[in-house]
Amino acid sequence: MLTCKELVARSSDFIDEQLNLGERLMVRQHLLFCRNCRRFIKQMQLARATVRAMPQVPEPGSEALAERLARERQGANKP
Amino acid sequence: MTGEEQGRLLERLLKGEPQAFRELVDTYQGAMRAVAYAIVGSRNADEVVQDAWLAVVRNLGGFQQRSSLKTWLLTITANAAKTRYKQNRREVLLDDLPAPHGSIGDERFATDGHWLLAPSAWHEDSPEALLSQDELRECLEHTLLSLSELQSSVLVLRERQGLELEQICNLLDISLSNVRVLLHRARLKVFATLEHFEETGQC
Repeated sequence: MLTCKELVARSSDFIDEQLNLGERLMVRQHLLFCRNCRRFIKQMQLARATVRAMPQVPEPGSEALAERLARERQGANKP
Repeated sequence: MTGEEQGRLLERLLKGEPQAFRELVDTYQGAMRAVAYAIVGSRNADEVVQDAWLAVVRNLGGFQQRSSLKTWLLTITANAAKTRYKQNRREVLLDDLPAPHGSIGDERFATDGHWLLAPSAWHEDSPEALLSQDELRECLEHTLLSLSELQSSVLVLRERQGLELEQICNLLDISLSNVRVLLHRARLKVFATLEHFEETGQC
């Protein structure tokens, strides 16, 4: 049986499906009996989703860059 | 982006339409910067991204659509970074810098491995509700800035850009086990920040 500390150490690998079958079963078994670790995994997933949902910083100078790239491309298209 | 959308965008890019390049830059430059940042560090990331864009424009006609546009752009970026810094390629630094709100470390567990200080239940259960609090958002940004360049890039490429771990290994030339370690440590710091904020209501 995994301890809570061992479960936390494997939590990212569990989430990213990096564990082998045996390890995955051990994690699942632990989660079945441990409310604290279930909460940990749930909130770890929420933390991931929050990082994903953070507003994107607008790209500085993207307009000028796009203009420049477009000109380069048009230049390349000329015979 | 579906294959069809990608095909249409590519046609417009080949014609040299500025608006198409605008879309390309806005969609992918963040991911490209994360790749450059991981390989050459913050000081040189911008010039690598510039190099990469010029290579993209030059090679656009040869893009075969065997891979997604995103994978192609990120591969070009990684190559641009590696070419420019071939001589002084940095070693993979697994350094774990201290984060403002720490991590979920050994002190949280008893000697038998059980929680000593179990995670508390957070008040909010959606990213939108969490991020609607300005102070929390700033607090989280602060934590992300405290990560090492490599740790931060791996987190961005995985969580925000949705890359597979294997793709991250290939782009950054680091082993799968290193990617796993970097990602896990970064996530625990983010977790600790949210937990701290949910418990105290402040950063």
